[in-house]
Amino acid sequence: MLDWPLASCLLNTRLLTSWPQWSLALLTIFGAAAASFGWPAARAASDQKPAGREVTFNRDIAPIVFRSCATCHQPGEAGPFSLLTYSDVKRHARQIAEVTEARTMPPWLPEPQKLKFADELRLSEMQIKLFREWFDQGAIEGDPRDLPPEPKVVESWRLGTPDLILTAEKPLTLPPQGTDTYWNFIFHLPIQQTRWAKAIEIRPGDKRYVHHANILVDRAGSLRSREAAPGAGFGGMEIQIESQTFDPDSHLLFWKPGTVPYVEPEGMALRLDKGMDLVLNTHLQPSGKTEVIQPSIGIYFTDHPATKLPMLLQLENDAKLDIPAGEKDFLVTDEFKLPIDVELLAIYPHAHYLGKDIQAYATFPGGKKETLIHIPRWNLNWQAVYRYQEPVLLPKGTAVSLRYAYDNSEENPLNPNRPPARVMGGNRSSDEMCHLWLQVLPVNYDPLRGDPRMALQEALARHNLEKNPADFEAHYNLAAMMQAKGQLADATKEYEAALHLRPDDAATNNALGATLLTRGRTDEAVQYLSRALQIRPDYFDAHYNLGQALASQDNFEDAAKQFRLALHAQPDDANAEANLGSALAEMGQFAEAKSHFERALQIDPHHPLAKENLEELLRLTNQH
Amino acid sequence: MSDRSFAWSPGHCLCWAFTAVCLASVALAQHGAVDLDGKTVDPFAAASGKIVVLVFLRRDCPVSSRYAPTIQQISAQYQREARLWLVYPDKAESAQTIRQYLSEYGLRLPALRDPDHVLVKLAHVQITPEVAVFDREHQLVYDGRIDDWYVEPGKSRPSPTTHELIDAISAALAGKSVAKSEVRGVGCYISDLE
Repeated sequence: MLDWPLASCLLNTRLLTSWPQWSLALLTIFGAAAASFGWPAARAASDQKPAGREVTFNRDIAPIVFRSCATCHQPGEAGPFSLLTYSDVKRHARQIAEVTEARTMPPWLPEPQKLKFADELRLSEMQIKLFREWFDQGAIEGDPRDLPPEPKVVESWRLGTPDLILTAEKPLTLPPQGTDTYWNFIFHLPIQQTRWAKAIEIRPGDKRYVHHANILVDRAGSLRSREAAPGAGFGGMEIQIESQTFDPDSHLLFWKPGTVPYVEPEGMALRLDKGMDLVLNTHLQPSGKTEVIQPSIGIYFTDHPATKLPMLLQLENDAKLDIPAGEKDFLVTDEFKLPIDVELLAIYPHAHYLGKDIQAYATFPGGKKETLIHIPRWNLNWQAVYRYQEPVLLPKGTAVSLRYAYDNSEENPLNPNRPPARVMGGNRSSDEMCHLWLQVLPVNYDPLRGDPRMALQEALARHNLEKNPADFEAHYNLAAMMQAKGQLADATKEYEAALHLRPDDAATNNALGATLLTRGRTDEAVQYLSRALQIRPDYFDAHYNLGQALASQDNFEDAAKQFRLALHAQPDDANAEANLGSALAEMGQFAEAKSHFERALQIDPHHPLAKENLEELLRLTNQH
Repeated sequence: MSDRSFAWSPGHCLCWAFTAVCLASVALAQHGAVDLDGKTVDPFAAASGKIVVLVFLRRDCPVSSRYAPTIQQISAQYQREARLWLVYPDKAESAQTIRQYLSEYGLRLPALRDPDHVLVKLAHVQITPEVAVFDREHQLVYDGRIDDWYVEPGKSRPSPTTHELIDAISAALAGKSVAKSEVRGVGCYISDLE
C-alpha cells in the first residue's frame, strides 16, 4: 500500500479550534469630527469676547453652532431640527442655552482629562456662556459680514461613493410607541476572495431614530440561524459571536449620531473574507409614528493588507453584578496587569441603564496613576467609542482598572424596574453589564517569538479564571492558547474544564477531539468529535476532524464519508477536497480521487498536498 | 377665573392685570386661534359644560412627536366628557404641514394654529408638549406636562411614573381640585417662536 501523506496535513490546517466570544472587534469609527469636515474650526474669537460687547449670531454663535451642532442638526442627519441658519438657531435659542448649560448637548460624556480624545465635542465654559448671553440679549443676528461660511450639508456618503454598498434585505418596521428596540441586520459579503477594508461607513437608516449601531464581524455566518427568515434580521441587544478562527484583528465599527467614518491608518485595515457576514446591531427609539428602518453600509477597500495587528482587551466583571433593589451606589471593579508593552488606541466603556459613574485608569509600573476615561453621568443612549488623540503607551506591568458605580434606586429615572428589583449581569437591556473594551496595539516585541497578542490573550484568560473559576470562555480561550503553543496536555485540561461547564458545547467537543487526535488518543478523539456532530450536524470542523481521525485508524470509507459531509457544509474547502481525494486513493478509487485533487487545486492552485498526491496518482496510473 | 391668578403677590400687579385680561374674555381667543381651514375657532364655544383640554405641540420638537400615541390614546379615552384640541403655536407651520403631520402620527384630534400665542397665554404653557385643562366652567385648573416620561431633553424613563394630565382630567370631571395645578414639562420652549 502506498503511503499517502494524508494525516500530515492535520496540523497545517486552520480548523482545529474555535475561538469564541472575543471577536467582538473594535474599529473605532465615531465622533462628530466636524473639524475634519473641512468646516472652519470655531474661531478663537468665540472664546475671547470682550466683556460688555453685544453677542451676535453672525460673529459669536454661528462659529460654535456650525462646528459643534450642525454635523447632526441638518436634514438627513440625527438632529430633530436643523441648525444651519440664524432663523433655525433663533427658533431654539432658549433651549440651546439650557441644554448646553446642562451639558446634555452636544452629547459628550467624558470629563476633561490629561489624555485627550480625538474629536472632542465638549463646549468650553465661555461658549456655553455665550449661548446664554445671546438668548438673554434677545438673540441678535448681527453684522452679515461676520457670518462664517455655512456648513457643508452632507448629501450622500461622507467618504465619497463606497467600493461596495450593502443594504439590509428587509427593513424593520419600528412601532410608534413602546420601549427601545434592539435589532440586528445581517449583511452577507458578496466577495470571492479576501479583501481589506480601510473604512466602513454605516448609514443606519433614518438617523433620527437610531441611537447607535455597531458592526460585528461574523466570520462563520453563525448568526444567520437566528433569523426567522433569511434577511429578516433578529432582535437582541448584546450579541455574541463564535469565531471559527484566531481572529484578533479587533476592529469594532461603531456609529452614533454625528459619526464621521474613520479611515484606518495604513497597515490597520480590516480583513474581509469570503463567506463572512457583517452584523449591524442597532439601538432604535420609537418616534411617535411608524418608522421603516433599512440600514446600509458602504465599504472602502484598500490594497494594503494589515501589518499592524491591534487587539481588543476586555475588562469586565459581570459575575459581580448582583445589585440589590434600591442600592444607590453599587461598585464593581476589575484590574488587569499587562504582560507586554502596548499602545492604547481607543476605549469603549459599556453598561446598561443602571450605570452611573464610570471610570477607567492606568497605574504605571512606577505607581503613577492616569485616568483613561471618566464618565460621571453615564447614559447608555450616548454610549460611544472614544479614540485617543495620540496612542497612549502602556508599558508591561501597567495595571488597567475599571471602577463602575450603579444606581438601582428609584432615583435613577432610567431604572428599567419600578419599583426597583434585584438586577444581575446579563444580555438583556434590563440586565446590567460591566464591560470595558480597550483597543491596544502590541509594541516593542520580538516578531520571531510569535504573535504578541497570544501572550495578552493568555494573561487575560488566566485573569478571568482568577475572578471566576467557572468562566467557560476563559477556560476555552486559555485551552486554545495552550494548543497554539503546543502545550497539548494543558490544552486538554482546560478544554475538559470548559466542557465540564458546558457539556453540550459543540465547539469545545470539537476542539478537545482535535487536541486528543493530535496527541494520538484517537479513540477518545472520535468520541468527542462524534458528540460535536450530534449537537451540530452540519459542523464543518468536526466532520473534517472526524474524517482525519477515522483515516488515521485506516477507516478510509467512513473517513471519506466525513470529508464529503464537511464539503457539504463548506463546499470550497481545498483541504477537505484534498483529504477526500487521499481517502479515495487509499481505497483504490483513483479516478474519483483524481477529480477531488483537481478540485482542491482549482480552489487553491498551490495546495501542496493535493499537488503532491495528484503527481503521485498520475505516476501510479501511468505505470499501469 | 383660575385661583392661581389671584394668589400672585401685589408686586406682580402687571402680570395680574394681564392675566385678568386674558381670562376676562375668551373672545380674545376667537381672534387668535384658527383651524386648519383658516377659520377662527373658539375651542370653548361648542363645549358648554364639558371640560376642555388644549395640547400644545410643535412639529420640529421630537419630544412632542414621541407623545403622539399617548395623546391620541388619552383623547380617545375621554372623548365623551372632554373636548381635546391640538394647538400649534409655531407661526411658521402651515395648515398643510400640520395636516401631513397629523396623518403621519395618527392624530385624529381637531387641530388649531395659534400664531399669535393667544391660547398659549390663556393656557400659561411654556413648552411643547404641555397641556392645559379647563374645568366645566372653563376655568384653567392645570397647565404643564402630560406625565413624567421625560427627565430632560434626550432622556426619558422606560415609562412614565406620574400621569398629571389624566389626573387633572379625572379631577375636573369629578369636580375635585387638582392636586398640582402646574408642573413644567420637558421639550421645546414656545417663547423661542416669538
